[in-house]
Amino acid sequence: MRTAVIKFPGTTCELDVVKALKVVGAQAEVVKFNSLDPDRYEAVVIPGGFSFGDYLRAGAIAANSEAMKGVREMANEGKLVLGICNGFQILVESGLLRGALLPNINLRFVTRWVRIRVRRKDTPFTGESKDVLFMPIAHAEGRYFLDDEEIASRLAVFQYVDERGEPSPQANPNGSLMNIAGITNEAGNVLGLMPHPERASFSSISPDGSRDGLEILRVFGK
Amino acid sequence: MILTLSSGEMEVVRRVLGREPREAEWKLVDALWSEHCSYKSSKVFLRSLPSTGPNVIMSVEDWQDAGAVDVGNGLALVLKVESHNHPSAIDPFNGAATGVGGILRDIISKGAKPIALLDMIRVGKLDEKGKWLLRNIIAGIGFYGNSVGVPVVGGELSFDETYNDNPLVDVACAGIVSKDSIVPSVVKEPGLRLVLAGFTGLDGLGGASFASRKLSGMDEIGAVQIADPFAGKIIIDVTLEVAKEVEAIKDLGGGGLAVAVTEMANGLGAVVNLEKVPLRFKYLSPEDIIISETQERMLFAVKPERVESVCSKFREYNYPCEDIGEITADPTIRFQYNGQVVAELPSDLLLSPPLNVWPAERASRRREPGREVPLGEALRAILTHPDLVSKEWAYSQFDYEVGTSTVVKPGQADSAVVELPNGKYLALKGDANQDLCAEDAYECGKAIVAEAYRNLATVGARGIALVDHLQFGDPRKPNVYQDFIDAVRGISEASKFFSIPVVGGKVSFHNEDKNGNPIKPTPLVVMAGLIEGKLARNRIDEGNLVLIGETRNELAGTLFSRIFGGGGEVAKTKLIEDLIASNLVIKGINEGKVIWNKDISKGGLAGALLPILTKGFSVKISSSHVVGTSSVLGKMFSENGGRFLVLTSDPQWFMYQAGRMGIQASAIGKATRDGGKLVLDDETFPMDSVVENYYTFLEGSL
Repeated sequence: MRTAVIKFPGTTCELDVVKALKVVGAQAEVVKFNSLDPDRYEAVVIPGGFSFGDYLRAGAIAANSEAMKGVREMANEGKLVLGICNGFQILVESGLLRGALLPNINLRFVTRWVRIRVRRKDTPFTGESKDVLFMPIAHAEGRYFLDDEEIASRLAVFQYVDERGEPSPQANPNGSLMNIAGITNEAGNVLGLMPHPERASFSSISPDGSRDGLEILRVFGK
Repeated sequence: MILTLSSGEMEVVRRVLGREPREAEWKLVDALWSEHCSYKSSKVFLRSLPSTGPNVIMSVEDWQDAGAVDVGNGLALVLKVESHNHPSAIDPFNGAATGVGGILRDIISKGAKPIALLDMIRVGKLDEKGKWLLRNIIAGIGFYGNSVGVPVVGGELSFDETYNDNPLVDVACAGIVSKDSIVPSVVKEPGLRLVLAGFTGLDGLGGASFASRKLSGMDEIGAVQIADPFAGKIIIDVTLEVAKEVEAIKDLGGGGLAVAVTEMANGLGAVVNLEKVPLRFKYLSPEDIIISETQERMLFAVKPERVESVCSKFREYNYPCEDIGEITADPTIRFQYNGQVVAELPSDLLLSPPLNVWPAERASRRREPGREVPLGEALRAILTHPDLVSKEWAYSQFDYEVGTSTVVKPGQADSAVVELPNGKYLALKGDANQDLCAEDAYECGKAIVAEAYRNLATVGARGIALVDHLQFGDPRKPNVYQDFIDAVRGISEASKFFSIPVVGGKVSFHNEDKNGNPIKPTPLVVMAGLIEGKLARNRIDEGNLVLIGETRNELAGTLFSRIFGGGGEVAKTKLIEDLIASNLVIKGINEGKVIWNKDISKGGLAGALLPILTKGFSVKISSSHVVGTSSVLGKMFSENGGRFLVLTSDPQWFMYQAGRMGIQASAIGKATRDGGKLVLDDETFPMDSVVENYYTFLEGSL
């Protein structure tokens, strides 16, 4: 799939994402924030980082950029849109996904390898995925919130779980509503998640050699 | 603003110029002649460090912003360490953050992409002030490193009351650049344009000079720079983009434009038109523009025809970039404002302050005899000491995974390991030892190099380069200066012994508490190494414990003596032991004999056992097999070098190999999965509360 990986000023993960997408055979390239042509791509990834320094609120400035108009156009056409970490924050700030990502409950940045359960396999990203994935998070504002639990439950694709696969309070690294780690839109073609699949795509850097991030990224190779 | 020039130095300036300097010229000389920028009290001794080697591309003698060594496949590793101690004492968040920003810009000055950061933090007791300092130092490092996407892959965190008023915040950075694309920091030809990227503001006025005297206790917040990592990220990305189009790059750090322009000209001259400098604050005076240390600025020497191309890349991000002057053949540094001369001084005068060699005298160290400490009490005190607890509270605040190359992560082993673009594994470790240095700075200088060498060996790596950072009190105090000289001698001797070139370094004097007492001498080294064979994965499991090396009853200058006093002998570093023991461990790793291993350092054998105990294992030790001393306290807490603790299923192999190599190795016990106990001969010490403290101390305290 021809995939644009958007680089805003302050984006830090664009090369990591391209490196991982190459593993699954995607035709991925970094596209600068001021030069996205939506018609050239079948899919778009908004990688992690600190777009525009996250100075106003994580993702808020990027959400109002010209590039996001292009992303919205792609989403409306049913193309695949994936937001990772800061990319997820940008997607909720731009309204492409429901809810908000608040500062972590302990008000600190946290890096940790976490387990997430795949609650929905009816999205293009998760159709062939394993049930539980092992991936790292690294964020200060990842506490998912939505004022309607029913909708949140329906849209939630990933949940932080413990070693037994339960969404326990201990497994919740940031205070997210219902341990939500990632959600989709109603159509299922837009996905945002806080964990970094691209960092779980190479066995040399994975604590147990697993490459669970590829389960989500694989679709871009089709 | 306070000047730190001495009256003698001022006389030299007047004599060379033959006139009374202008105010701006005093500030210029003050910045360039500051200890921070000129190394005037240390340069003579730094010359003794071995800076050459077959793999060295760029080293200390080039006086570049960072050193570089060959790592194969046409790639160079660029390495640098620096501290931000004084700013962090006053504004820990911005002080630590700008420390990270500064070192990153040193790396990109060479055209190299920063790939890993280390942070070595030393604070005092954890009272309200100590907690405020530590929380903000860690948050500040995270704020900057995370925002610019460079992983903090390792470091140290130590607590010692000597740092109550003067915390040490050391950051090191490694970068990668193609060997033939390294950009120099200095120019060789006149006619090049000076191009400045970034806004100049009011912050950090006179920071270099501020760093070169003791903290005054007065309001010096104006000398601290404010961190703007978003601007830092842009300057990193764009600098690397334009690196191939420019002739030289220099980061604006200590001493601001004054130092950057003068050092870049490197004996040639320069004319700078200050009215062209992009300002964050409109009414900044020409004098302040010269010495402002606002971060996130870079100076480029550019061929005239390329200026527009370079600046256009910054302007794409709305980042200011201006042609502010040129390099001249006339060896004079001239700052002018709308044609009016603000400062005009000979390059040679600015670059060559009178060197200082201060009187030095070794302090006599009297050690009070220690009391008899029961083993149980000693074990508890050592194993619950904050220096040895889990540092997850700190490193979890850093994005150590960005870059998808962190192979051995913080908290997993004695060294961090990152994957290089050529597929090789690079190991990195920073080491200091204020306890030993306070007893004997020479032995300590040797010991920290040896410890770094051993730490690299624990993952299977051999050292290829090191950088040092020498942190002491006021060099005009004879005891302090002697310690400095001793430490350099020790570092120099050890690095020569291991054939590891010292490719860069910094000196930080004037680290004192509010009563004028110097900190314990704290030289620090950061060593980089390559894994030639296998990487040790070091996952703790059941197995036999083998102790490699001889344990000597040398408890002075250890964590034990810091807590209980006394201590007897100071550890004498026998470098050959460190070399052979490291060879044995690396051989063991490559032949698949090592389940897990750790070098013996802080906390002695007891400290080395702690990681096993905290992973839910029990440890049984037979003390008679710990050879070299009959003292049980010595066996458990001595920190003498040359030793490793190895978990293996084949202890015989180690004993046989050690015998062939001429060192000690003995099977001292076992680790078993029935967690919670340390059994020493017939005595059992429950470890539940020690283990709980290990995981909860920092989180609970902070």
